[in-house]
Amino acid sequence: MAERKLLLEHSHETSFRTRAGYEQTGGYEGLKKALGMERQAIIDEVKTSGLRGRGGAGFPTWIKWNGLPKEKKTSHFIICNADEGEPGTFKDKELIEKCPFLLVEGMTIAGVATQADAGYIYIRGEYLDGARSLRSAIDEAYKAGYLGKNIMGSGVNFDLYIHMGAGSYECGEETALMSSLMGERGMPRLKFPHAPLPTISGVFEKPTLINNVETYCCAPFILKNGGEWYATLGASTKNSRGTKIFSVSGHVKKPGNYEIEFGTPLQELLEIAGGMVDGDLKFCVPGGSSVPMIKKAEVERAIIGYEEMSEVRSMVGSGGCMFFNDSTCVVTFTWRTAQFYANESCGKCTPCREGTRWMVQILDRILAGGGNPGDAELLQQVASQIDGRSFCPLGDAAAWPVAAALRVFPEEFAYFIENGSSMVTGAKTLAMAP
Amino acid sequence: MAAEMMGVDMVTILVDDIELQVPKGELIVESVKRLGIEIPIFCYHPRMKPVGMCRMCLVETGTKQPDGTIRKMPKPQASCTLPASEGLAIYTQTPQIIQDRKGVLEFLLINHPLDCPICDRGGECPLQNNTLFYGPSTSRHIEFKRHAPKAIPLSEHVTLDLERCIQCGRCVRFTEEISGDGQLAFRFRGASMQPSTFALSAFESKFSGNTIEICPVGALTSSQSRFRARPWDLESSAGVCTLCSCGCNVWFDHRIGKLVRVNGRTNNAVNEEWTCDQGKFGHDYYNHNERQASVFIRTSARLESTSWTVGLGEIVTKLKSTGTSAGFLLGPKISNEAGFLACRAATALGSRQVAGIDSRVELGANFEVPADSLLSLEQAKVIVSVGPSLADTLPIVYLRVRKAASQKGAKVISIHSSPTELDEFAFLSLCHKPGTLSLLIQGLDGSLALEEVALQTGVSAQALKEAKTVLEGQGVSFIATNQVAHTEGSAALSDLRRLAKKLEANWNHFCETASGFASLASCSGLGMELQSPESILKKCLSGDIKFLWLVDFDPFELVKDRELVKQALEEVEFLVVQSAIASEASHYASVVLPQSLPAEGGGSFTNLDGQLQNFDAFLPKIGMARADWQIFAELLSRMDLAAGMFSRQDILQMAAKDVPYFKEALTGKQDHQPQPSGAGV
Repeated sequence: MAERKLLLEHSHETSFRTRAGYEQTGGYEGLKKALGMERQAIIDEVKTSGLRGRGGAGFPTWIKWNGLPKEKKTSHFIICNADEGEPGTFKDKELIEKCPFLLVEGMTIAGVATQADAGYIYIRGEYLDGARSLRSAIDEAYKAGYLGKNIMGSGVNFDLYIHMGAGSYECGEETALMSSLMGERGMPRLKFPHAPLPTISGVFEKPTLINNVETYCCAPFILKNGGEWYATLGASTKNSRGTKIFSVSGHVKKPGNYEIEFGTPLQELLEIAGGMVDGDLKFCVPGGSSVPMIKKAEVERAIIGYEEMSEVRSMVGSGGCMFFNDSTCVVTFTWRTAQFYANESCGKCTPCREGTRWMVQILDRILAGGGNPGDAELLQQVASQIDGRSFCPLGDAAAWPVAAALRVFPEEFAYFIENGSSMVTGAKTLAMAP
Repeated sequence: MAAEMMGVDMVTILVDDIELQVPKGELIVESVKRLGIEIPIFCYHPRMKPVGMCRMCLVETGTKQPDGTIRKMPKPQASCTLPASEGLAIYTQTPQIIQDRKGVLEFLLINHPLDCPICDRGGECPLQNNTLFYGPSTSRHIEFKRHAPKAIPLSEHVTLDLERCIQCGRCVRFTEEISGDGQLAFRFRGASMQPSTFALSAFESKFSGNTIEICPVGALTSSQSRFRARPWDLESSAGVCTLCSCGCNVWFDHRIGKLVRVNGRTNNAVNEEWTCDQGKFGHDYYNHNERQASVFIRTSARLESTSWTVGLGEIVTKLKSTGTSAGFLLGPKISNEAGFLACRAATALGSRQVAGIDSRVELGANFEVPADSLLSLEQAKVIVSVGPSLADTLPIVYLRVRKAASQKGAKVISIHSSPTELDEFAFLSLCHKPGTLSLLIQGLDGSLALEEVALQTGVSAQALKEAKTVLEGQGVSFIATNQVAHTEGSAALSDLRRLAKKLEANWNHFCETASGFASLASCSGLGMELQSPESILKKCLSGDIKFLWLVDFDPFELVKDRELVKQALEEVEFLVVQSAIASEASHYASVVLPQSLPAEGGGSFTNLDGQLQNFDAFLPKIGMARADWQIFAELLSRMDLAAGMFSRQDILQMAAKDVPYFKEALTGKQDHQPQPSGAGV
């Protein structure tokens, strides 16, 4: 298998960023179809497609769409989570910059299906170019009657707003995002079973649908070509359908976003990205910095799919796939990752607030040559005291990479602690990002 | 079960394999208390919305499957946010949970300074307690601890030690949810997160002291009692705050006979567990350096120290000759017993000249019990608060009104001539031009055209119309104090009362002083009218009153017209100044009597909704000082006007014979017994 461009098929064409260009490639056919369908039929189409959330968790999309009250009693909202902050992931950036209409159409379809009054696109603060591109797309869509009052004469109203984040990773967590959107401090809120699901009480305490950029972008294709057609993509996997964009970076020759069909071997993704730069593959972090790293042997047998990846004790995650060659020091890599999560912890719950900082402190000391016997076990225990005990998944995301590094490369930690220097010697290769 | 009878859905849950029936949706952290099981907490507070921040209350959970087995959830759950649902199984004592609690406490302690030996909270600290019971014995953290500024003065009352903070958010949530001033918020994130005021400005709240009490560590400390005593050296005695008429239940914490600090004491019918800053920090007059310690008598031009025998003897002699022209001014903080005995003396002497701050002369009406209690106010659908800031005059009433509005959805209408705290959450704020309240009321009762009223009062006709509609509904409660008469005139207060009666709404004319309710009740029971201090002073000038007794009443503080006070005190033939602290009036005194304060002499006090609360003495009296009621008991005995008053109970029994209110309070209503200390919960 090679690349299977669906979402990114026209991303390199500048005309694709205009309404006219978008429509030429078959744009807005999905919405037109959707407007002629029963609301439940749209949701059923998504169900047939087998689409799962692309933000990282892989939750079946249709369940969320289906979760909003069918009998509308109050305002409904939909939110697009474009606060892409997971290190190694940059697929949403490309989508909103180069394929803004896909998102606009996808959200409009979701808005029709869920009877939403308005949609909010919460964009990461740094994504200025993306926001501009999206702004002009939304403006054009309004002019063409694809948004606003009485969309294409169907009687459906739907407004779309852009909200820029202010640089907090935590605001990519769906409930923290809603808090932030409402002008509150970007801290996560209680989740089910402690509080109602967002589909019952979300943003502004109204029924809310929240999906990732890539998830919404799939909707026009599902509607246009049918759910059954979409489900043929990735049919070789257990339960993953469609295509997935991977942001490949690290020690690869051609870093960038590559769209592949589920069921593609991970090794092939590496080859698509041009193979390794300097030296041999040492390990891969396949789904963004929070997912557990895997060694070369696992990379070779890994198949990309939500269930398939768990066979090699990793995850598809958000698709931020980083390959590292043998000039990489795992201890240093772990330290850098841990530092990111310590910086981004919102401070709400004890395990994440205190534990992430402690892990960095221990790794700091090890890197400075002050490692003590037992530090590896201590790190492992601190990680396990965070994992599953924190308020929101940020704590888990901080604990997993540390725990995985300790599990996969125990000898490197042991060596660093004992000798005060890295096991990896020689010239370091600069990791590459597009 | 009571809950069942009230039609609440009950569900069956399993707590450590014990079946338990609890109301659906009850938080698990509360449910387990029914079995006597304790789950350690930090951030959870029963009076605030749960947040699940500290993760101290983690429990393992599962659900009962149709085949009877329990399917455990993979992750432990915070029990403070978990609502009870049918078939939910909770495990509070598993090895996993014991390990998780150790983990959370280890995390909390790695950046905690552990300066317990010098911390004010040490000894009554939830962090200490939980660490002792659930924590690890040692720490594995050998890195540098986080450092932050220590002893930041957040306000004149509150000092913040950021290093001790465990970021539980209780203080932040208190200012958001309870006091409503929203003064505190978190700033920075992650390990650097800290509670703070906006841009480090002063913590301006009328209830800031409560944050000290609910802080589970020694991060928020009282600037007043900081480093004054270790908690285990303090003795806590149940008392009642007498600074206003709310009658808040408090703990007086004292050491070697000196009052050190005041903490809230739980009484759901009065103050729940809160105190206002006035009450919490305003009791330092107990340690005033000019406390009256001996009896003085005027000989020629000087006051000379003397004995009680001589002092009271002189008074008795004088009263025998001028008794019919004796006047009594009752202070705002005197006990029920003293107030009753003073009224009794006035009737027995035949003078019938008694005045207090909380007189109802403005209304021309006698004693009238407020229609609402603090508890029932919470259930009101519409609350109309009239007059200046309620948070200033009756802080605890303000908290109830806020609770009614924010938690029970009551509509608050605030009528005033300058903005108040109520405006923040009021359904309608009718801010009228000063002096136009009567007009506004005429608009509301329909006797004047709304457009005309709007023009005169400066309140929009639209708002008036809306208010009128709301007022015509059910469950309306009016709140007013004498402040309305002081600012808008007594006619306005009468108009307001008439409006409330016309609307068949609950009329609450609350006393503002601790002695107000009982003084009014006593006077009315004895067939007298409680006069205003001004009218008594004027009678001193005209010579109708020759003998004036100031019963812990400082006229220079309490009466606006200073000239009138001066002239009256000079004019009156014989002046008895009975006070706890030396005052300006002493200069005019013929006899000065040293009076003890409630915590020293005891007394019962009636709060604004008529609850009689006993206050037993626990502090030693200063010098020769006697309790206010003791002074009058002795006077009446010496004059053979009454006998058999050996204790406060005797006096209350006597009062019950004359005053219907006391009869009811002693037989019907319950006196609120002190409950276990709320400190550290």
